[in-house]
Amino acid sequence: MALRITRSCIGCNACKLVCPQKAVVRDAHGYAINAHRCDECVSQPNPPQCGEICPIECAIVDNEGRALNPLGSLTGIPCEQEQVIQLTELAGHV
Amino acid sequence: MSRSASQSASQSACSASSPPPNMSAEQAALVEKHPCFSKGAHQFARMHLAVAPACNIQCNYCNRKFDCSNETRPGVSSSLLSPAAAVQRFAKVKQRIPETQVVGIAGPGDPLANPNATLATLKAVGQHDDEVHLCVSTNGLELEDQLPKLLEIGVKHLTITINCIDAAIGEQIYAWVYFNGRRLRGKHAAQTLIDRQLKGLKLAIEAGMLVKVNTVLIPGINDWHIAELAEELQRYGAFVHNVMPLISDPAHGTYFGLMGQRGPTDEELAQARSDAGVSMAQMTHCQQCRADAVGKLGEQVNVDEIPEVVPAELTVAVASRSGEYIDQHFGYAKSFDLFRVGKAGVEALAARDIEAYCRGQNECDEDEAQLRMSRALHTLEGVDVLLCSRIGLPPRQALQEAGISVNTELALKTTPEALEQIRQQLLEKSAQGSCAKECG
Repeated sequence: MALRITRSCIGCNACKLVCPQKAVVRDAHGYAINAHRCDECVSQPNPPQCGEICPIECAIVDNEGRALNPLGSLTGIPCEQEQVIQLTELAGHV
Repeated sequence: MSRSASQSASQSACSASSPPPNMSAEQAALVEKHPCFSKGAHQFARMHLAVAPACNIQCNYCNRKFDCSNETRPGVSSSLLSPAAAVQRFAKVKQRIPETQVVGIAGPGDPLANPNATLATLKAVGQHDDEVHLCVSTNGLELEDQLPKLLEIGVKHLTITINCIDAAIGEQIYAWVYFNGRRLRGKHAAQTLIDRQLKGLKLAIEAGMLVKVNTVLIPGINDWHIAELAEELQRYGAFVHNVMPLISDPAHGTYFGLMGQRGPTDEELAQARSDAGVSMAQMTHCQQCRADAVGKLGEQVNVDEIPEVVPAELTVAVASRSGEYIDQHFGYAKSFDLFRVGKAGVEALAARDIEAYCRGQNECDEDEAQLRMSRALHTLEGVDVLLCSRIGLPPRQALQEAGISVNTELALKTTPEALEQIRQQLLEKSAQGSCAKECG
């Protein structure tokens, strides 16, 4: 049982600062969650802290790949608009 | 174009450039050299150090994926700095631009959502230069909790962004607020933020800080509320009010940008400043600069083009088991040999004892590890470079964040060999530095 950080992560470091298990690590490849330390905050009174503070939709998922903050849940920007941004971003990377 | 409107606005608001009559001598001294608090201080330069990437709220005018469009342009700044790198950057800029009188932390997230990085950086900058003004720009959510530490390290200038004092307006501006371990939304989120902002504002002013309040002007959302807001700010004793136009280019990908929320016209901005100007001195020369801005207002200096500052000498700590070679793991070191390496030679200093950082258990108790780390940092105070054979990643990062560069590449050389190598590097670097200076 552990959460995972996806490639959507922008590296803002917020989850690392609030994780009560100190499970978030940063290395040359970016941010990741140490599966041995993460207990999905079941030992805590509050929901998973990384998921509570992360500003990016779909950047944190559970071990079945479900996003803690699905598309459209944080910024209020409708999904169609969000997809336009993602396509623009992809086009920018080509 | 509204030249006459904006001119009349800046005239009615000239109190920001000529200090209000009720200002104390101490406050006047604080204002004098800060370009963001006084138009008259434009010959002085300021520097933002981008050490604070995390944020605890989401504003609808900010997109964390790109450079944010408003205010200190949070989101992404060109490069994020560790506190140690930030201080080096300051030293470099100060040498090139001696008018740099102000060092601020403004993001790219919220400085007080990154308290350790923010405080460590400001403290180190203050130690490097005791005349520089330290400055923080925050959304105010964590201000009450962090204020004592800010005061302790000598922060006297503060900017709080307060867009409204009415939660019904706030819920249209803030998507969420992370507070006490939970992501709050809607009116509750806005009310929590506003309450904490006003509490922080009150405490900061009572503590003698000079507080500027930034407000992003959003037509149809908070424009009709600006006069009321300014009246409240005056009641609290804020020093100056900076009403800034919303930037909502859809290309920035912000909620407001994508949802078609427009920014104010020049007339609307002038009107809002004049409404607010009834109660609060207005600042009209804000450049809405980035979280990594350097130089005088309105100019951006490329720090990478400024040559490195080469210190005259380095204090080096060596972890050695044999007493002859660099052959000790940092975690097992019980003492460090200290040396001062200058261009002319190497001088031995008194060795320092320390309780070993690692006790060989498979997994350390996290709190205990932190306690020992802070002891290690205390032991190594004033050290620039640490030489050891090996070191774990967390202590390496902690040392680097405290401004100590860790070198394991000289492992298994003898101590004199390693120190000589450092001395040679020092000589090479200072030769390069002076060449770069001469060649312009």
